[in-house]
Amino acid sequence: MRDGDAAAKLDAAEVGRIFREESGRSVAALIGVFGDIDVAEDAVQEAFAVALRKWPGDGLPPNPGGWITTTARNRAIDRLRRESRGRELLSEMAVLSPGNDEPGLPEEVGPMQDDRLRLIFTCCHPALSTQAQVALTLRLLGGLSTKEVASSFLVAEPTMARRLVRAKRKIKAARIPYRVPEAHELPDRLRPVLAVLYLVYNAGLTNPAEPGLCAEAIRLARILATLMPD
Amino acid sequence: MPKYLLSVHSVEGEVGDPLTDEEMQQSWKQIQVLNEEMKSTGAWVFGGALHEPETATVVRMSGGEVLTSDGPFAESKEHLGGFYIIEAEDLDAALAWASKATVAVMKPIEVRPFRDAEA
Repeated sequence: MRDGDAAAKLDAAEVGRIFREESGRSVAALIGVFGDIDVAEDAVQEAFAVALRKWPGDGLPPNPGGWITTTARNRAIDRLRRESRGRELLSEMAVLSPGNDEPGLPEEVGPMQDDRLRLIFTCCHPALSTQAQVALTLRLLGGLSTKEVASSFLVAEPTMARRLVRAKRKIKAARIPYRVPEAHELPDRLRPVLAVLYLVYNAGLTNPAEPGLCAEAIRLARILATLMPD
Repeated sequence: MPKYLLSVHSVEGEVGDPLTDEEMQQSWKQIQVLNEEMKSTGAWVFGGALHEPETATVVRMSGGEVLTSDGPFAESKEHLGGFYIIEAEDLDAALAWASKATVAVMKPIEVRPFRDAEA
């Protein structure tokens, strides 16, 4: 039994904080596994719903991010097995290990490859409008809800939801690649990424209701700085 | 392999300075080089330049009948001047071809994915 005091203090707000911290990495990892943003997003969402039920009683697992990623991966596999389209997707995947037939008993995986850098470059691909780039980055990497993204940019939630759906559809249909650009492409490709971080920061400054956006921009910039090759 | 349509867009009346013969020659030569490159790398599916939009004819269903009429379908200043259909791994690869095409053709290129990857 892990220490009970910490578990007792683990409320919804704390799980929410962990969600923002960890969801980007989990979503990025699962897009890498399943090659599908919606599948990844839904699964991570579901994993956090499970965390919200389990953690306050059981206490925080030693590696919350890894727990979320593993749980989300198993949930996604379960769900895909139930859908015929999903079964096709799964049969194309070589990643299915024999050990995870038991849903609900996620086994923690080792250190995850950090796919967030790939995700940043996909979200900020110049083929997407700046608005879409910002929205996707906040949603997928920042772990903000559609509602939160909408209010950051002072648009109605359905408008933002449509914008996100359209952007994700374009990524899929036009096959915007999920990879870090090569060195010679970086000067061009880095510019929109930096512009997005700047816009997120600025939205935090000018929208007093969302001061968290400044911190979010700094956090994403730190991730970028850590992950970027020199 | 996914297919993309690269369409060459011209804007009527926005020709700017007309190309000199030399520039036309230069552009034509570059297009030939590009076409050869597309063919030799296997990206080429089809491509060609179109006659002016005034040469277009439209057929459509109207009241259960098929009607034939003169003129381009869309009364717009922009029109399709030509196109390529290429095969490319992903959007970045398609955009690389489009970048070469816009340099050669000296017109904006629109890149659109075909709906069915296997089509």
